This record gives sequence, C-alpha cells and structure tokens, in this order.
Amino acid sequence: MKEMLTKEEVLHVADLARISLTEEEIKKYQVELKKLLDDVEKINNVKGYDDDILIACWENSAELRKDIAGDMLDPKEVVNNAPRHSGNYIEVPVVISEGEGA
Amino acid sequence: MYLNKSIKEINELLKNKTIKPIDLVEEAFQNIENNRELNAYITLNKEEAIKRAKELEDKEVDNLLFGLPIAVKDNIITKGLRTTCASHILDNFIPIYDATVVEKINEKNMIIIGKTNMDEFAMGSSSRTSYFGAPKNPWNKEKISGGSSGGSATTIASRDLPFALGSDTGGSIRQPASYTGIVGMKPTYGRISRFGLVAFASSLDQIGPMTTNVYNNALLLNALVGKDEKDLTSVRREDEDFTRLIGEDIKGMKIAVPNYFMSDIVSKSITSKVKEVIELLKSKGATVDYIDVDYLENAVTLYQIIAMGEASSNLARFDGIRYGFSYENPENIEDVYLKTRAEGFGEEVKRRIMVGSYLLSGENAKVYYNKALSIRDDMRKALKKVFDSYDLIIGPTTTTTAYDLTDPMDDPSKSFMDDVLVIPVNMAGLPGLNLPIGFDDNKMPIGMQIIGNSFEEAKIYKLASYLEKELNLSLNPNGGEDNE
Repeated sequence: MKEMLTKEEVLHVADLARISLTEEEIKKYQVELKKLLDDVEKINNVKGYDDDILIACWENSAELRKDIAGDMLDPKEVVNNAPRHSGNYIEVPVVISEGEGA
Repeated sequence: MYLNKSIKEINELLKNKTIKPIDLVEEAFQNIENNRELNAYITLNKEEAIKRAKELEDKEVDNLLFGLPIAVKDNIITKGLRTTCASHILDNFIPIYDATVVEKINEKNMIIIGKTNMDEFAMGSSSRTSYFGAPKNPWNKEKISGGSSGGSATTIASRDLPFALGSDTGGSIRQPASYTGIVGMKPTYGRISRFGLVAFASSLDQIGPMTTNVYNNALLLNALVGKDEKDLTSVRREDEDFTRLIGEDIKGMKIAVPNYFMSDIVSKSITSKVKEVIELLKSKGATVDYIDVDYLENAVTLYQIIAMGEASSNLARFDGIRYGFSYENPENIEDVYLKTRAEGFGEEVKRRIMVGSYLLSGENAKVYYNKALSIRDDMRKALKKVFDSYDLIIGPTTTTTAYDLTDPMDDPSKSFMDDVLVIPVNMAGLPGLNLPIGFDDNKMPIGMQIIGNSFEEAKIYKLASYLEKELNLSLNPNGGEDNE
C-alpha cells in the first residue's frame, strides 16, 4: 500500500470541498488524508450484514407541518448578517467575468 | 454561596425571597472569573444575564429551574448573543433567532450565563481544535477536559454553575463528562429538537444536559424534550417526568455488559473500577451478564464515513456570502468560497470536510456511505436486540482517563478512537449517560456509561441515581462538599 496520496489527489479532494491549499498544506494532507482514507477502507472487511439501510434512527412516521405561512425572519436582519450587503440585497463578487460567458 | 445547594433548596430560598436570581447570577460570574484560566467560555452574557435576573424579581417562582444560571455550548444558537462554534469562520456571528432548546430554557426562566468552549464545529475529542484555545480540566490543569463539549464539562465540573447544555454526535457529551467527573446524558435521537443546533452530522447529533448530579440532569431533560415542528426528526411523546424512578430499588434489574467494552482496548484501571461496580450491582440483587454484541468493533469506521460525509454536506453552507467571516479581496465568487473556507476553517475541520466530500462523490457514495448505512442498520438491530432480554447496557465511557493537553495531535485517527465506546450509542440512536464511578491513581475521574433502549432515559436515571448514592464519591475538584 502506498504511503501517501499524490499531490493531484489532494488537490482533487480540496476542490470537491471548495478549500484552497498552500503547498505546505498539500504536503501535510498527502499523509493525513491517506491515514483517514485507510481507516475508512476497513469497511470492506465487515462481513455478514444484510441489505437494509439506516438513514437515521427514527421510529415515528413523518409528521409534516401544515403548509401555512408562519412568522418570518426580518429580511433586514438576515441581510445585515451577510459580510457584504446593500439595502435588501446581499452583495457577491463577479460571477462571470467579461469574455468568460458563452 | 448558594449554587452549591440542592436545586430544591435554592428554589425554596427564591420562593421565600431570601435570595433573588441576581444573587445566583452574580455568584456564577464570580466563580467563572475565579476559574478564568480554565478557559471554559468563548462568550459571556453578563449584561443581558443581569438584566434578565432583575426582570425575574417581579415574577412568580413557578418551577424548579426558575432563575437558575445555565451555560450553553457555542454550537447552539442564541439570538443576539455571539455563536461561534469555536471557529474563525463564525467568530463574528450574531444569530437572529434562538434554537428551540434556548426558547425552552427561557420559558422556564433560566438565565443564560455564556457560551461554552468546544472543538471547532464539535469535531474533536479534546476541545483542542477550538479557535479560542482548549479548556483545561479542573482536576488537573495540564489535562484535557475532553470534547467536543469540553467547555460545558469544565464549567460544571469546576462548580461555576449547576446546568449546561452540550451536544453529542459521537460521544461529545459523555466523553468529556467522563474526563471531568460529571453527569452527561445523550438522549434518544429525536427526544430534543435540533433546530438551532449548528449541524455537524444530522443523523447523529443530539443536544443533552450536563450537570453535577443525576437528579439535576433528569430535571433539565424534562425542560428540553418535545416535538418541534421546526425539526422533522423530533418525536412526539407523552409527557413524562424523567426524575420519577430516582430513588427506586434496582433489585431484579437485568444488566448486560458487552465483552468488547471490557476488552484490552480499555485501560486496566478503568475496567477494574467498572468490575467493582458490577460486583456492587450483583450484591444488591441486579443480574449482570457479559454478552457479545455484533458490529461494535466497526463503530468507529462507520462513524468516520457517516460523520465526515454528513459534515462535508452540512458545512457547505459556510461560503463567506451569507454570514460569518469572508475573505477580504476576492477576485471572483469562486475565490470567496475557496479562500474563506481555507482561512476560516481549522485543520481538523478541513480534513474531515475533504475526506467527507471524497466519500460522497460519485461512485464512492455507494462504495462507502451506503455500505456504512447498511452496516449501521445491523449494528442498531444487534444493540436493540439486547433490550429484549435486558433493561440496560453498561460499560466504561472511555478507554483512558483524560490525557495531557500537550499530547501530540498529529494522528488524524486519534480523535475518533477516543470515542470508540461512545459512538455505537449514536449509531443506534439510543440514550446513553456518563456517571462518575471513581478515580485512577492520578486522581483523574473514571466514568461509566449506562445505555438504555430508545426513550427509556428514566430507567437510565434510576440506575445512575442508585449508584451515585451507593458510591457517594467526592466529585468536587475544589474539594468542597456537594449537596444532593
């Protein structure tokens, strides 16, 4: 079994998780993530279980609430919690730059 | 000094106006100040707590929890009071509504004193992943308090105040309770609304009470439970008083001890203490049998897959757009996500999110996550089956007592292995409680776990209170006496 992940493998999982990494972190995670991935491989050694799955330990049947409007949060308070906001809007940086569009 | 009295005594004093809620609040803040080096709190609620205590002076003392100070783990949101999850990414976050449990403790007119320290996003077993530094164990300041509810455990153990809330995804109430010598209960999954508990692994998370003794624990649980239409997984049950079996005899109780819990993964000082308790129970007329329970040894692997998978999905919401910390000078929106999360999350959280994202991506979801859910079902069946023949399951809570704050953190598996004995309870959604049962040679607390069938918390409290009385331990690290 190999000792560590490749740099590309680490960058792949970091991309899935939307986390940018420094070179130093990549080196560290090559070892640390490998250790955790080795741990979870142990699941393949478990034998004898049946096909039923358990999503949550929950014995009652779904009790959905009635579809009626209740108290709402104040939009102003919600927006004020955003790091960048203006009026009733949350500001975000440019999503598609010029020349990048279809 | 009133907070070291029993809740019933304090209640009488409040009722006959010998004391006022402000006396209790001021005493709690004085205790916290005296114990400041223990680093149990991230944020104190001093101004608001004093204001609230004064408001209560004109109100009728209508329940046992009235006017009593309580600490809340910092992953449970509190309107207007900073809630950080011990993370840089939320270190300026002021919630705009209360968690359901917070509404419930407010309805009882309890007073929130502050938000307790914890592992970042409850990911860890020593509270050392906190952005605000680790809390210290009141029994020995060189040692960890455990985690992730380490701050709540610390403030209870050091007798700052009588009540705290924790949360338990894979042992995060019971394990720190064991390390600090207090009583901590993880109730049945669905007992308590998770609305307003910042989600880590939604199918495992549960809020629970942490207290100095069994009676207080059951009393606080009374206030927390109930169906909440804001949490679909909360369960509607008949009202019950969790203190109702306290004081009953245990003669004829049937108790099971899984062999795995007493195997050589647990240090000898702990198993021998548990064996002493087993002998005591037998001598008092309970039946205790050693049994095999399938799949227990797979619990950590299942937990790693399910908890990291669910965490990666839950923590996707921290994007630097809607709340919390945001990277200052992004080039574009992708840059906000990548750099906010890179700077905002600590190492343990990043590791778990990355592995979790991988485990849920594409075909891996089948290879790992679905397989884990399948084995989880079998583990739950195996544990539930025990209750066909037994009232309760007991065993050690932890494999060692609290270790040094300076112990290395470079093994990413370590924080999972610390919880090997407490994780199966979350996997099966069962209630489990830590009860202090003694000390090791270094005078560090040893805890025993009592596990019940779903919704049988009252039975757990029955055995726990019986043992608490029989063992009659001095559990105050400051050396003082504790009342009932």
